[in-house]
Amino acid sequence: MPELPELNPVIHGKLRLALLSLLVGVEEAEFTWLRSKTGSTDGNLGAQLAKLEEAGYVAVEKKFVQRKPQTLYRMTEAGRQALTEYVLALKQLLGGAIGD
Amino acid sequence: MTANAEELELKDRLSLIESMIAEGRRTTQSYGWTFVLWGVAYYVAIAWSSLCHYGLAWPITMISACVLMGLIVWLKQSKCGYKPETTKSRAIWATWISMAISMFVLLDAIGFSGRMTDWRIFAAVASTLIATANAASSMILKWKLQFACAVVWWVAAVVSCFGTVNQSSIAFLAAIFLCQIVFGIYLMIRESIARKQEATHA
Repeated sequence: MPELPELNPVIHGKLRLALLSLLVGVEEAEFTWLRSKTGSTDGNLGAQLAKLEEAGYVAVEKKFVQRKPQTLYRMTEAGRQALTEYVLALKQLLGGAIGD
Repeated sequence: MTANAEELELKDRLSLIESMIAEGRRTTQSYGWTFVLWGVAYYVAIAWSSLCHYGLAWPITMISACVLMGLIVWLKQSKCGYKPETTKSRAIWATWISMAISMFVLLDAIGFSGRMTDWRIFAAVASTLIATANAASSMILKWKLQFACAVVWWVAAVVSCFGTVNQSSIAFLAAIFLCQIVFGIYLMIRESIARKQEATHA
């Protein structure tokens, strides 16, 4: 019997998973946009994004647009790879249960 | 945790990924108005240059349309707030901006060099460039209707090469009407329906 894969604990957190899934579809996203899409609080969102940044899954860029500070998050290649592996592992774990 | 509860949690994670990816990509962009704006700009430039025989009618109208478009984009962004860019939307903007720069440089160079001896050359070059952008955009979006617009522009280019000045003018004006005005209005209606659906889902 093949060994079942383990799920990446950094990605498995609900909010972190939602953030990576949002970022995979866009070039980059602003903090406020991520907050509105996830319905999270500033503090929690900041903490989870920091964990993703620490893991090297997202890159942060801070800049000023029309004199207003803007924090932009972009998914890194490592993040893309980790999310792909996570989805594959998830599908493997669920096996035939997908689509039930 | 029971095996059943664990399975439910994993399924929940999978549906979360799917819904968030869809949410990230659901950035209804407004392109329809740009087609209408440029269609009207082409008509203004044609009318101005043919009625007043003013050589700068085209460059002035095109620059004014560019400024107006920039202003509308800026106002829309200020009103609607930040929207992230998708790879697809960047590819489409890149295609159209490249086409606009090519058209501006080439047609102005031909015009100012005094080698624009025949209206049909202008119509053929402009039609081909617009057709190229429509075709590239339709391939990115996998959208047959926009490819049909590209075909209409290519037909207008061929008519300009082989037809009389009148035939060339009619083909060019018809292509503007169909592929800029009608297509633009159709797009605007589609975008308005999509936005209403988005608001309902939110």
